[in-house]
This record gives sequence, C-alpha cells and structure tokens, in this order.
Amino acid sequence: MSKIMTVDILSSIKGAQPSEAVSKLFDVIKNAQSTNNNSFNNKGNNCVSLNDLRDDIVVESSAIEKQIIIENFPKEKNGYLVVSKIIEE
Amino acid sequence: MESQIHKIHQQLVNKEISCTQLVQEKLEALKANTNNTVNSTLDDTAINLAKKIDHKIANGEAIGLLEGIPFGIKDVFMLQGTTTTASSELLKNYKSAYTATAIQKLLDAGAIPIVKENCDSFGHGSSSENTIFGAVKNAINPDLVGGGSSGGSAVNVAKDYTVFSIGGDTGGSVRQPAGYNHVYGLKPTYGRISRYGLMAYASSTDCVGPIAKSVEDIRIVLNVMSGKDIKDQTTYVSESIPKESILHSDIKTVGYFKNFVESEAIDPKIKEDFLATIEKIKAKGIEVKELDFFKSDILVSTYYTLAMAETASNLSRLDGSNYGNRIDDKNLKESYAITRSENFSEETKRRIVGGNQVLSQGFSDEIYLKGLALRDAIAENFEKDFEEVDIIISPVTPNTPPKIGNSLKDPLAMYLSDAYTVGFSLGQLPTLTVPKGTETGLQITAAKTNDELVLKFANFLKDTL
Repeated sequence: MSKIMTVDILSSIKGAQPSEAVSKLFDVIKNAQSTNNNSFNNKGNNCVSLNDLRDDIVVESSAIEKQIIIENFPKEKNGYLVVSKIIEE
Repeated sequence: MESQIHKIHQQLVNKEISCTQLVQEKLEALKANTNNTVNSTLDDTAINLAKKIDHKIANGEAIGLLEGIPFGIKDVFMLQGTTTTASSELLKNYKSAYTATAIQKLLDAGAIPIVKENCDSFGHGSSSENTIFGAVKNAINPDLVGGGSSGGSAVNVAKDYTVFSIGGDTGGSVRQPAGYNHVYGLKPTYGRISRYGLMAYASSTDCVGPIAKSVEDIRIVLNVMSGKDIKDQTTYVSESIPKESILHSDIKTVGYFKNFVESEAIDPKIKEDFLATIEKIKAKGIEVKELDFFKSDILVSTYYTLAMAETASNLSRLDGSNYGNRIDDKNLKESYAITRSENFSEETKRRIVGGNQVLSQGFSDEIYLKGLALRDAIAENFEKDFEEVDIIISPVTPNTPPKIGNSLKDPLAMYLSDAYTVGFSLGQLPTLTVPKGTETGLQITAAKTNDELVLKFANFLKDTL
C-alpha cells in the first residue's frame, strides 16, 4: 500500500498531531548508542514452549457473561444489536 | 511480625469485631473521604460476603487468614458484574463480564472487595490526575498528588480505608504512589501473577502488584495471587514464599546506581537521605558497590517508546463498536474517530499517537526497533549486575510529589519523573517500594524470579533504618 497515512488516520483520532514532549523522547532514542542492534535473538522475549501451549478449544461463556456482553453493547433496536453504518471503499 | 491482616484475622476469630461491622466501617470511610480515591463502592456484595463470614464464625467454623479481609481494586481489573471504567469517559458505564485471575484468587481465599479505585485513565500517568473522577489527593498532604497511576489504591491503604489494595505497575505505577504515600508496594517479577483480566496498557511490562502497610501483608497477598495461569501464557510456576524464609537476612552485597544519585535532577534531600541509608547498610557489615547504568533519559525514552507502541495497539480495540460510549456518525470509520476523539483524555491520545508514530514505516527502524535493542541491553546489564550483587537499592523518585495541577501542564517533566522506576520494569525484575530511607521511600530489586530475596531485604531494612 503506497498511500501515506497520517497519525490522525492511523490512530482514529480526529485532528491528532505528534506532540512536542513525545518527540523529545524519540530524539533521545535516535541519538542513543545501542551495543546490540539485533533485537530478536535475545532473552527479553517471553516465548512460550510449543509443549506448553493451551489447548485449542472453544470455551463456552457462562450465561451471566453473555448477558453482560449484551448489556455492554451500545445500541439495541427491536431485539437486535445495532452497529454503525458500514461503508464500502 | 507486623501485619494488618494477621491483626484483623485475630480480631475476627476472637469475635472482638464482626466482619459486617468491619466492612461497613471501611465503606463509610471510603464514601466520606475527600481524597478522590473511589470510583465505585461494592456495598451489596461486600456486605453479603461479610455476613457469610460472620455466620461461619458464629458456627464455630475455622476461617482462613484472608477470609473477611476488606481490600481495594484499581479500576482497571475485571470483577464480574462491577463497572470497570479505567477512570475513562469511554468506559464509564462498562460492566466487567468476567473476573481477573488475580482477583479471583483473592475471592477464593475469602478476601472481600469493597471498592474500585481511582487511577490515571488506562494507567496513563504518574499522578492520578488523568481521570474523570477528580485528581487523587495525597494521603499525607492533600495539596499534593497521590502519585500514579495506582494513586487511589496507595492512598486508600495509607488512610486505612482498605487493608490492602491491588494495583497495576507498568513503569512504576504501584511503586511510585506507594512511595508518595509512605506504604509498601510491590511490582513482582513479570509473569509471576497472571495479567488475565487486567486492562492491557503495555503488555510486555504490565504487572499486577499488591500495596499494603507491611512486608508480611505483601508476602501473604503475593503468595495468593501468584502462579501459572493458562489464560496468560507469560506466567510461570513459582513457589510460595514461607514466612520463616524472610525473617533472617543472609544478604552480603548490595549495589546502587551511581548515576541515579549523581544526577542533577535529584532533590538534594533525597540524595542526602539515600547516601545516609547506604552508610547504615554498610554499618551492618554489608558490602555496598557502586554500579554503572544507563542514563535516566535513555531509560525513560526506551520505556515510553515501547509502552506507547504497545498501548496504541492495545487500545485500538476501543472504538465503541461492541462496548463503550459510542458516538454514531455518518459511517463506521467516522464513528470510530469521533468516539475515540471525544472519549480519550489528552494524555491517552498523546500516547496513542506517539505509539502509532514509532510503529509507522520509516520510524520503526530508528525508534521502535532501537528501543527493543536498548531494552535487551538494559536486561543484559542487570544480569551482569546480579553476578556482582545480591540486591540493588535505589530511590523511588528523584523528587517529592508535585502539587496537584503541575504534572498535567508539563508532560515531559512527568515522563522524566519515572526515571528510577522504568528501568526495573524493562528488566522485568521484582522491585518493592519500602516507606523508608528517603521522603518517597526506597526501591529494593533482585534478579528475575527472586521476589523472596526482595522481601527478605525489606524485612531486614525495617529493623536497620
């Protein structure tokens, strides 16, 4: 995708602009000397062993859980949960 | 050994107080408080649980140590059926559909949740001013901030409104408010306590942490909440820490970061008190070593770069579709944008935008990936340090708590105030704030998974300082 997306679009926040305070933090990183530039071979990552993965099963939600999920839904009409109008691009 | 939990347990067993009376008193104190620590109280469920405990005691049944003990929960933890707002406009009416693992373990042990506590919205802040419920006021001086982001939790413990509270610590959010309000606050080793049901801020450093008035109470609550959880695959199997194991210290060497105390940013009194603490430790025959560490601005920048990237991703789900304060507009994309623009605070927006900046093509290599590399270098540095020393101690904050209103005006200053806490988060190390040594306390840190040693040294310091 060649389209350039601005931070307000990326963030879904109207009129969002990069902040000066945050840019100052990023400048420190840009100018920092790092002894290790290969960040993916290290122990900082929390890997899960293949033998330790949880079972790939569907867990049924309890009745109360389902009820609360419906209660949290922002809009309801005639027994249906209503989403915003979806556009096609 | 000093312990609020043991003391109240004994009073309940001896029928000196009833659990219902205890819970009622705490609820009344919470409601009457003027420190803005409360987002909601859990009256009905708390009183019902208390009555059950009283019934058990009246029938001569034995009760567990945590049974009937009232506690507080930072309002970023799920507790089924209660509102969980993250102190935000977006989720001000959101109801938890399920319960966080750490909280469930406390419920299973019989502890009684009485309050959802005020904090910085989504954990975004170091002062608990970034909230729709009003700035949390410091327990010692109400003109000052309560600290953050778990400010309401620390103030509630300091004021005895809760016996203990459960906070969340991503870059210092348990340790700093504990220091500001003169109580104990632990960030355990990353993965010791399940994050399931804790609203994600920055998943790679988010930790569940207890706040209490004694080392013993921290130990009790930590033991109950710890353990592997299939619902959080970064958790690991840990042993319970026995009471006896922390009574006697065999710690021989302690280190501290020279550049933390030599920094121009540190308050002269905090520096003086910290160096005096070092002398007292030396006087006990412990060897103290000066250690080299990364500059504070690098620690803060690395932490915020990674935390913002992660929060931009974690909070992208908050668009008002399935839950939250949706504002409808002409189409779906516009609805997302207006919902997020109107409902997120300025600080939350600043962090989301920052995160999307560093994750964008053209920026990710020179900022985000470099941040990851720096984190690895910081973790390696810690590993080398713990070959030399058993424990690292440091001040909690460079300065005393700011006046309410000042942090929001200067976000960069607020970020830099986290200079002493964020490094240990990046290293995923167990770190405890003790209300000793300096005006805002001391941090005690040990190597990964060695939470027991942290408690042991804290206990030793209790008698030394």
